[in-house]
Amino acid sequence: MAAQYIPEINKVHNQESPLLDSLVTETSAAQNGTARSCEGLILEGQLPVLNRSAHSQFLQIPLKLALPSAFTGLDASKPWLIYWPLQALSLIDPASIPPDYSARVSASIFACISDTEGAIGGGNGQIAHLASTYAGVNALAISGDTKAWQALDRNRVYQFLMAMKCDDGGFRMHHGGEEDVRAVYCALATATLLDIMTEELVQGTIEWVSRCQTYEGGIGGAPDNEAHGGYAFCGLASLCLLGNPLEVIPEYLDLENFVRWLSARQYQPEGGFSGRSNKLVDGCYSWWVGGCWALLEGIMPSLKMGWVPLWSKADLQKYILCCCQSPRGGLRDKPGKSADFYHSCYVLSGLSVVQHRYRYVDGAREKTLSNWSLSWDYSAEDSAVVEVSVENQIGALNPVHVLPWGVAEKMHDFYAAYR
Amino acid sequence: MSYIEEFSWDDITPIPQNDGGNDAIAPIAYDDDYRIAMEYLRAVMKIEEFSERSLKLTEDVILMNAAHYTVWQYRTRILFALDKDLEQELVWVEFVGQKFPKNYQIWNHREVIVNKLDNPIRELPFIEVMLEIDTKNYHVWSYRQWLVRRFDLWATEVPYTTIMIEQDVRNNSAWNHRFFAIFGRKEVPSDEVVSDEIEFTKAAILKAPQNTSAWNYLTGVMKKSGRPLSDLESFCLTLSNPSSGFKTQDLDITSARSLEVLADIYAEKQDIPKASLAWTLLAEKYDTVRENYWNHRKSQATAKILGAF
Repeated sequence: MAAQYIPEINKVHNQESPLLDSLVTETSAAQNGTARSCEGLILEGQLPVLNRSAHSQFLQIPLKLALPSAFTGLDASKPWLIYWPLQALSLIDPASIPPDYSARVSASIFACISDTEGAIGGGNGQIAHLASTYAGVNALAISGDTKAWQALDRNRVYQFLMAMKCDDGGFRMHHGGEEDVRAVYCALATATLLDIMTEELVQGTIEWVSRCQTYEGGIGGAPDNEAHGGYAFCGLASLCLLGNPLEVIPEYLDLENFVRWLSARQYQPEGGFSGRSNKLVDGCYSWWVGGCWALLEGIMPSLKMGWVPLWSKADLQKYILCCCQSPRGGLRDKPGKSADFYHSCYVLSGLSVVQHRYRYVDGAREKTLSNWSLSWDYSAEDSAVVEVSVENQIGALNPVHVLPWGVAEKMHDFYAAYR
Repeated sequence: MSYIEEFSWDDITPIPQNDGGNDAIAPIAYDDDYRIAMEYLRAVMKIEEFSERSLKLTEDVILMNAAHYTVWQYRTRILFALDKDLEQELVWVEFVGQKFPKNYQIWNHREVIVNKLDNPIRELPFIEVMLEIDTKNYHVWSYRQWLVRRFDLWATEVPYTTIMIEQDVRNNSAWNHRFFAIFGRKEVPSDEVVSDEIEFTKAAILKAPQNTSAWNYLTGVMKKSGRPLSDLESFCLTLSNPSSGFKTQDLDITSARSLEVLADIYAEKQDIPKASLAWTLLAEKYDTVRENYWNHRKSQATAKILGAF
């Protein structure tokens, strides 16, 4: 094989397209406003430093203090309020996580387990929910608290996952809840980490996920729903959990159309990603869309589909550093918005995709259900693709589970040892 | 709080929240009203009490935190157990929806109620009100799809999306719904219907030639109905004619999206030089943030041709 030629693609695109339509609608007015406010923060030839200490301070709040009553709206998302800051801190400042956090995390997550259902709910005394279960198990994985891992009743979690399974192959979020592709992803990611994957659990699921791809090429929340970045990641990651991605993705997705739609998510001059056609860029799609790119780039070389990043890592880095950093710490959707833990987690996870090249290593593990998402590796991205200053470097992650590097593998292997 | 004012709770021992000890992560400093209501909620849920007072309690909690899915689910169980007037419930949900337009628990709740009620009469007017507040509300459009399929309400849908698209031709949710309205039915749409859609979309494109939503719809309709993309060649050329190469005047290119579709048409015909020219124009001038993608398309198409020899 010839030596790889690496074109110099480390450049940003700060100009708007020369083609803009004159017709003004609600959509174009909003887009124009966002483009202008981003332009005001993007300085030619200058890239701000990642304000690591301010972000770290912000992210440590839930570890140190009670959140104000304005957080009541997230009272049914407690496991998320634990997972988001831990995932983000693990990437930018793992040393700041206090040594006693591990048992505190597991006690806080166990308090959300539903007595009657055995899986994790949005808070103490709430019914079990697949998204809470996913976030809670991820938080337990980060905690590394093997005593808690031991104490978790995996049989009951499995029973809950089976109870959420629908006849058509999809999953619903909770008893009486909505069926969508988030639920599929949350169920499969949980089952892999806990090593409770079975053929029965995933019967018909791959076909259901495939049906969520729309005429635009992206993936919607359920069949016929609009293509959307968040659901696209859930769908693509689900395929990576269901089988060998080198086989499953080309078979169950119209990959060409998916890549076309994904590519269209990046805007100029902003550099960030939008979640849907004609919607605005939002920092959280740095992960939802960027995570799709991480997964695709991990398999495309093996499919002989080229290797160069098909998107502009330099422009996403620009959007994140110029537009998503709140001056008071924490990461945000876009200029003018406040920082929050959700955006901090997914903007920083997106920055990790900018800085690393992920790849699926066929045969790295035994080819069995519950191993597919654990056969990934990474390397630092080439400086010809994107220049990352040393002071901005952050950690790597598992691109299927959205967990700090090594954590998913460790939890799964802990349980697999009991087989 | 109405649940306290209207009912006696003397027989109920509130269950305090256990966040996982005193040093739990991310505790919330709730207002007392919310904290106490939740303590009663845990207590009545534990004994599965389905009563007027527990129903009132769910109402008060939802007004303080509409995202609390457990309370919604409990409320549904109470409504069904007490055989409550479900139409009255829908009226209340309409009030909650307008108070918290971003809340999405209401849509799942409404689906369960309307399904049981087996009557969609209130639904389309309420959906319209909510789509006026937010024309791209994902959960509202998803709910509308469920409703249309469940009650066979297809007749209204294409005209409704026409209105929405006329209001904002870039509303991608409306275009997606239109695709559902045309192709989501069991019956395959007639040639005439498909041709009408193509003409409707071309007219929309002429109003705003960069509009991705309309272009995606157009190519989606072509593909779904099995028509060749090359049928669009002359339409695309009226918007962008790259034939004079890099000497192309800006006047000849009025739509980046038409260049993209032209490239696909040429690639299908294996006319790689022409396709490559369109991709190069996109990469270097009209859609430069995606230059890696356009260059990838170019190298893939070239490799495919080379492989064929």
